[in-house]
Amino acid sequence: MANTIPFKLITPTAIAYEGDAELVIAVGTEGEEGILPSHAPFLTALRPGILRANVVEGGASKRLEFATSEGFLQALPDRLTVLVDAALRREEIDADTAKADLAGAEERIKSLTPQTAEYAREQAIVDFANARLTLNG
Amino acid sequence: MPSVKDLRDRIKSLKNTQQITKAMKQVAAAKIRRAEIAQRQARPYAEALSAMLRDLMNAVGTVDHPFLKPGREGAPKGVILMTADKGLAGAFNSNVIRLGEAVAREDKNLVWYAVGNKARNAAKRMTQTTAFDVSLSAGPKIETARRIAARVSDDFRAGTISEIVLVSSKLVSMSIQRPESRRLVPIVAEKSVDAGNGPRGAVEFSPSPEAVLTRLLPKYLEFTIFSAMLETDASFFAAQLIAMNNATDNAGKLIDELTLQMNKARQTAITSEMLEIVGGAEAIVG
Repeated sequence: MANTIPFKLITPTAIAYEGDAELVIAVGTEGEEGILPSHAPFLTALRPGILRANVVEGGASKRLEFATSEGFLQALPDRLTVLVDAALRREEIDADTAKADLAGAEERIKSLTPQTAEYAREQAIVDFANARLTLNG
Repeated sequence: MPSVKDLRDRIKSLKNTQQITKAMKQVAAAKIRRAEIAQRQARPYAEALSAMLRDLMNAVGTVDHPFLKPGREGAPKGVILMTADKGLAGAFNSNVIRLGEAVAREDKNLVWYAVGNKARNAAKRMTQTTAFDVSLSAGPKIETARRIAARVSDDFRAGTISEIVLVSSKLVSMSIQRPESRRLVPIVAEKSVDAGNGPRGAVEFSPSPEAVLTRLLPKYLEFTIFSAMLETDASFFAAQLIAMNNATDNAGKLIDELTLQMNKARQTAITSEMLEIVGGAEAIVG
């Protein structure tokens, strides 16, 4: 029996993934966080980026990658939950939409001052679009 | 006494109406199912988000977040009035709007944020200003919810409004939709009773509980608005299903009544015609 933890990746519209993970790496606000089974209780906010997970499906280990938007990660002794607004697999990414989102947000961000709520929102759109393009490209 | 032809025309037009209401009823039934699925799919997220919020609230002592403090005194109340975009659902929209009006009577100093076309029109009729309006079904709901949340929280932070209240419909059951009003911001910290016995201190937050909470609270507001939108959708179709069912039944009753009247009218016409013939024949014979 491999050392795994029940892992759920949840968005407001669906459960994007549910299974057993050996390792989950997400981009936290303080940098990348790698979570292994039996991690101490832990809660952090996530930045848009690429979430990587080593999961066990049917006895075989598999690497999953998702482009995720802002969210939260909670590790508990018996489960690992990631909440994000959107989680896309490589094949679900539409590069044109991502490019359009990126261009739009970059245009709007020019007129905004850093450290404001609006700026942070546009920055999140930029980061999410970049994550999608990185994973897709 | 209407003529047979008049009655026949009326019955024909009623049958057309009945067909339309019947079709709308079926459409509403299909859409309820879809709305319910959307609601169900949002539930895991809702549960996980509340659990995280609870853990955080228990872990932190006092947090300095604008959402947890009373808004600027004297500023108007921000009320999100949420209805459907369309009518033909009985009193569904007017019930929500009536509650909105009651809220406005209590405290005249308020600003509307209208969600749904019916809410927008109602807000326009009222004396207070509308700061923002959006259709309920304009694009993906999660995007719309994000825009609404961004707008109200910006206004709240800027001190333009003193609190954020949501007036929307709650789906109590398939046959009951109840409008309700609740305050979203400032959030009343609901610390669980056994806060002292929880895994306090054992939970690690990165970078700090306060920092995570600062990000979680806006998300919580956003998601609350999103799920209210889903609930409004489901309630609307449930109300429409009942309204259209009643309309179909009523049309059926009317058709029955008019058919009876038409038959009577026809019979009267035949009888009087026969009497005329008999009378004429008797005159010839006599």
